[in-house]
Amino acid sequence: MAWDFGISKEEEAYRQKVSDFLDKELTEEIARQSWEDLGLDVEGRAFAKKLYAAGLMGWSWPVEYGGKGLPPIYDFILIDELGKRWGAHVPNDVAYTMVGHTILRRGSAEMKKEFIPQIIRGEIEFGLGYTEPEAGSDLANMKMTAVEDGDYYVINGQKTFNTESHYSEYHWLAAKTDTKVSAYKGISLFIVDQRAPGITIRPMITMSGERTNEIFYDEVKVPKNRLVGEKNKGFYYMMEALGSERNYVFVPSRYLPYLNMIVDYAKNTTFKGVPLAENPMVRDKIAQIAVEIDMSTLLADHARWMEWNHLPMTCEPEITKVFVSEMEQRMVDSAMQILDQFCQLKEGSKWAPLNGRMEWEFLHSFMTTIGAGTSEVGRTVIAQRGLGLPRG
Amino acid sequence: MDFTYTEEQKMIKEAARGFLEKACPNVEWYLEMDNDEKGFTPELWKGMAELGWMGIMFPEKYGGIGGSFLDLVVLLEEMGYAAVPGPFFSTVLLGGLTVLEAGTEAQKNDLLPKIAEGKCLLTLALTEAAGTVYDPAFIETTAKAAGDNYIINGVKLFVPDANVSDVIIVAARTSGTTGDKDGISLFLVDSKTPGVKSTLLKTTAGDKLCEVAFDAVTVSKDKILGSLNGAGAVIARVLQYAAVGKCAEMLGGSQKVMEITVAYAKERVQFGKPIGAYQAVQHHCANQKMAIEGSTYITYKAAWMLCNGLPATRIVASAKAWVSEAYKKVAAIGHQIFGGTGYIVEHPMPIYSRRAKAAEYAYGNANYHRQLVADELGL
Repeated sequence: MAWDFGISKEEEAYRQKVSDFLDKELTEEIARQSWEDLGLDVEGRAFAKKLYAAGLMGWSWPVEYGGKGLPPIYDFILIDELGKRWGAHVPNDVAYTMVGHTILRRGSAEMKKEFIPQIIRGEIEFGLGYTEPEAGSDLANMKMTAVEDGDYYVINGQKTFNTESHYSEYHWLAAKTDTKVSAYKGISLFIVDQRAPGITIRPMITMSGERTNEIFYDEVKVPKNRLVGEKNKGFYYMMEALGSERNYVFVPSRYLPYLNMIVDYAKNTTFKGVPLAENPMVRDKIAQIAVEIDMSTLLADHARWMEWNHLPMTCEPEITKVFVSEMEQRMVDSAMQILDQFCQLKEGSKWAPLNGRMEWEFLHSFMTTIGAGTSEVGRTVIAQRGLGLPRG
Repeated sequence: MDFTYTEEQKMIKEAARGFLEKACPNVEWYLEMDNDEKGFTPELWKGMAELGWMGIMFPEKYGGIGGSFLDLVVLLEEMGYAAVPGPFFSTVLLGGLTVLEAGTEAQKNDLLPKIAEGKCLLTLALTEAAGTVYDPAFIETTAKAAGDNYIINGVKLFVPDANVSDVIIVAARTSGTTGDKDGISLFLVDSKTPGVKSTLLKTTAGDKLCEVAFDAVTVSKDKILGSLNGAGAVIARVLQYAAVGKCAEMLGGSQKVMEITVAYAKERVQFGKPIGAYQAVQHHCANQKMAIEGSTYITYKAAWMLCNGLPATRIVASAKAWVSEAYKKVAAIGHQIFGGTGYIVEHPMPIYSRRAKAAEYAYGNANYHRQLVADELGL
């Protein structure tokens, strides 16, 4: 036990292996399918298979389902290396970094056997079915119902902002199984075949061009063996998974490509005959971006380290989430000031700097402090769970 | 990867917490120290020496206890928590560490055991008025060879604790001209030497920053510390240690501020509720927590890298840039939550917020360090 900010020889060897593979195989096109949530298309699916075939998936997963049984740091190395390259993530991101962990913790033996090997092989993806029109930050206020009927649950209701669903095989769905008790005690989780009869998926297009979805359930029949864990424990499972999910989803290495871009731009652009790289204001703004990426990396490393050492996390992943998401907005703002008027030029436009990436990132960054819980909810969690301040 | 203190470091922390709680009893005492010429008491200094703190990172052969820079950082974190006044930082870090880094065997044998026993106080006279900040290339103080001696002329500013120091390490130009990277040397100057004059500056924090004037001060050439004309690298390295050491103090101070702020938010009732139940106040406290979490890991990462001899320029600059602003923010939030009561001079808040300001500017403020980060990014 002692302060140590390095990684082990074995971990470094894995990192190198991943890095070599990605340098060869990961194209910007594939990366953008995942990062921009455009949909896991043919190339993305093929890339997922290659990643598995190269022996790079599943190192942190149990041996009995095809993993190597090593600590989570290997998966974190994988997502960090992907993030460094155009902000990519694991193609079946929701399955691999979120849903799979809850199945391992709470699913039946049969459910694990069915789903975990497919997740490790990169073959299946899930859409997250949590948010509803009346249940945003107040998730427990959901209205969707799942009623027992023989060997099935019959599900009715509406979800919104279910991002991966138009290309996912499965829906990871939260619905009310008991409407008479407190909301926290009447929610259950299900795995639903996303193409089951009675499901209608409608696109919602975001301001940055990503596709998310609203989904309607009309008398959708779900076999009882697709209930995750125990009935009415769903809200608890969702909360239990939250810290870990934040650790996997808020990946500071994704901002390194933007930092590198703006450094290159400052070196190669002159104003009044002087490179921007020599302008103290420009240097200060870029340096602040770098400092905040350093900070994000350390906050994330610490929260992840807590996770793989099974230390009780109270607010640490929440701190990463709030900091990283707000950092992203500050980063974009600083970078755009450096690009000046050119910052507004979209990809494909004449004169667009950095291929329009910063312009896209600007539009995208509005979501970061909202999605997966707003900064306001996050700060309340930090204050109450982390500092013990009283509930209002 | 590991984010934990060693068992020894936990013991250092615990012992320091206990000792300093008693040694720095109340706000009135701090205010007395602020106004006192020396800024500390002989009992405090003696107690710290008895605990072995002055020699914490000196090898045993020089009378130290053979700890690491990380151990010193742990101690400095506690000193920041207690806001302890006095010349520890200047003596041990600016003085002792510079001697350890650059001194000859004879110089180390002479000075380090005395420092470890608490019998010799040191400081480092580096900064000058003419915009030198921390770049030694622009030092204008000169040391001219005259037979077996050097004659030093110049004025140094913001020299901590020079008024109580026995030995002042002076950075002076021994060859070349202003702007040259080479040509700077360090001298060990006895503070009683004729021509040395320290004047206490009046500062926000009541810390003992001095102007030190050197008027034809004669030192023998065996008082050169390190190599003639080659002090630039030593100074750069000591400044890295100093910046991280100051981050550790700031980290400790910000922890204390958050602790008293959160405790107050839980007990202070307004409009029928503890103010800590209001989200406006909760979000302020959450911002303190976020700033401090970041400060903790970046301080220890920088210290760990220095300790292991890894290239640390970027992370040290990143740390000082971040922690300087984080402590300032944490202190400002503390004041906001304490309201009027924290504005009164006998309250602990001003002790910390005034020190936060001093620390922000010590060994390079955030702007200065961001320029170093920019250099490291290849800009």
